[in-house]
Amino acid sequence: MLSKLFSELKRLPRYAILLAALTALGMTAGLYRLYAGLGATTNMSKVFPWGVWISFDLTTVALSGGAFTLAALVYVFHMHDLHAATRPTVLFGLLGYSSVLVILFFDLGRWDRFWHFIVYPNINSALFEVSWCIAIYSIILIYEFSPVIVERFGNNRLLEWIKKLTIPMVIAGITLSSMHQSSLGTLFIVMSPRLHPLWHSMLLPVFFLLSSIPAGISLIIIGSIVSDMLFGHSLSQRVLEKLGWLMPWFLGLYLALKLGELLVTEELGLLFSSGKYSLLFWLELVVGVIVPMILFSIKSVRWNRWGTLTAAMLVAAGIVLNRFDATWFAILPRQGVTYSPHWLELALLVGVASGVLLVFTILSTYFPVFVETMPTRKPQEAAVEAGRAERAPALSGD
Amino acid sequence: MSRNHTYGFLIDASRCIDCRACLVACSVENDVPMEHTRIWMKGTGVMGKFPDLQRYTAPYHCMHCLDPSCVSACTVGALQQNEDGIVTYDDKRCIGCRYCMYACPFEIPNFEWDQRLALIVKCDLCVNRLAEGGQPACAATCPTQAILFGKREEMLALAHARIEDAPHRYVNHVYGEFENGGTSTFYISPVSFEQMGMPITDETRSPAHFNRLVTHGTPAVAATVAVAMSGAYLAIKRQSADNAAAEQASDGRPDDHE
Repeated sequence: MLSKLFSELKRLPRYAILLAALTALGMTAGLYRLYAGLGATTNMSKVFPWGVWISFDLTTVALSGGAFTLAALVYVFHMHDLHAATRPTVLFGLLGYSSVLVILFFDLGRWDRFWHFIVYPNINSALFEVSWCIAIYSIILIYEFSPVIVERFGNNRLLEWIKKLTIPMVIAGITLSSMHQSSLGTLFIVMSPRLHPLWHSMLLPVFFLLSSIPAGISLIIIGSIVSDMLFGHSLSQRVLEKLGWLMPWFLGLYLALKLGELLVTEELGLLFSSGKYSLLFWLELVVGVIVPMILFSIKSVRWNRWGTLTAAMLVAAGIVLNRFDATWFAILPRQGVTYSPHWLELALLVGVASGVLLVFTILSTYFPVFVETMPTRKPQEAAVEAGRAERAPALSGD
Repeated sequence: MSRNHTYGFLIDASRCIDCRACLVACSVENDVPMEHTRIWMKGTGVMGKFPDLQRYTAPYHCMHCLDPSCVSACTVGALQQNEDGIVTYDDKRCIGCRYCMYACPFEIPNFEWDQRLALIVKCDLCVNRLAEGGQPACAATCPTQAILFGKREEMLALAHARIEDAPHRYVNHVYGEFENGGTSTFYISPVSFEQMGMPITDETRSPAHFNRLVTHGTPAVAATVAVAMSGAYLAIKRQSADNAAAEQASDGRPDDHE
């Protein structure tokens, strides 16, 4: 029995041990934070009451937007050839949201009361709405992923019953995602005295929702190419090309709205007069929006694996920068006080991110996550590699 | 806002002598150490050249805004505005998310950074003392009457009257009358409020108002998304009934690599 378990565990790639170790270290940091309080273990202050954890949360939610975007494309708009991407994308979304919930738990001053948002509603609060939507959406993601688990144990009647609910659940998921992706932008509307005017806007909810779509698509593309390296499974270039084709539309609309808003509110001058803030804003728009928009518009780039990967990485980087700007870099200092994270804050983040990758690796090893994706190497070769994890060093490259 | 804004403060920087008796009174009233008082000092620091030196100070606590940003932001409704317009804090509800600290334009809510289970700290205008017919501890203690407490309209009228009576003594600005859409705490000062180190905001309307514009629109947006998605699904499904049949066939494909 024990030896069987051991041989099963051997199917995991070798880097799983590294991930497990990092997860354990991160959780130790988290437990110490619960014991010692936020003052001793973080660099947050009265002037910067939120730190890198919140930046991580907002970034992860945006990058997990692939799950609702793909669900809309496949089930509502019937682009069935994208279906192959759903399982890994839903799993990434589920794990992304789980990591956000874990981090939020450690971020609360009264983590023992995390459930209060359920019983003490404040309907004016964007954070209240975000909490509810993320909680319910996480349940929907569990539902959307459940066929993978049920299939593994071959319960066909249950599977049929689950599949009957697909469309209503998918539409509920898209609705909840639209709500919380946009409400994460709404969070900053009340913070107008603190957020730099290049970022502060009444359109923040629109910006956040709209940008989560290309962000999610970019993660589907990156994930596919990384899983090619790690697991020997990838989406076909035909599917990636189709996803890439969608990008310029969303990026273009986003760019037009961002600049249009500055034009209408007569803040265009800030693009040149705000020093470091102007630079950050340009970086976001040029590197994260304009350049990938051009790249994805070129057919030969979309059909090229590395071209697609490069453009997708730029989109993801732009979104990461945007969310870090809104939560940290573009928050105006007061009384000369600035913020940079304590090493324990980073340790918890590394631990949670490693935990997420570890769970992803375990689930995709033992459950049919990649059934519809193409094996990119010959079956025997891929099986041997999955067992020996000869490609493990590839992890350090991403 | 349909509430009464019954009470108000008038704080006169020209009368404050930086004795900090108000801080001590706050510490005693709320039974907290001096570093956790809900009132602290703002000031100019030493200005001018010897021997022409000047230094102004004023105590600083929650402004009790007419339309408070923190109340709008609070995830769990721990911050509330009561029927007298006082911004109260319920330490039984608070989850310590610290959104109020970012929402408040006056940087009032503080956090117990040194506590294992940490809460927000904020002035509640000594509601308990008011209920017994008393005055807030800080106002009751002030030896120079730099902190006056009374009816909001009376305090505002008095602020303007003092400036009018002695225009050479004060800058012509009642801080708190329009800041953040109006507050219940008014400051008058011989020097600009920027020099006093007080937050300067151009907003004459509380950001809470703009926040509500968006959050109250959310249910309508959600309903629109749900209806639009359902409609799109049904419309496209009807159009491509043939494709759907083909898709079903490919769905049932056995998995070929375990």
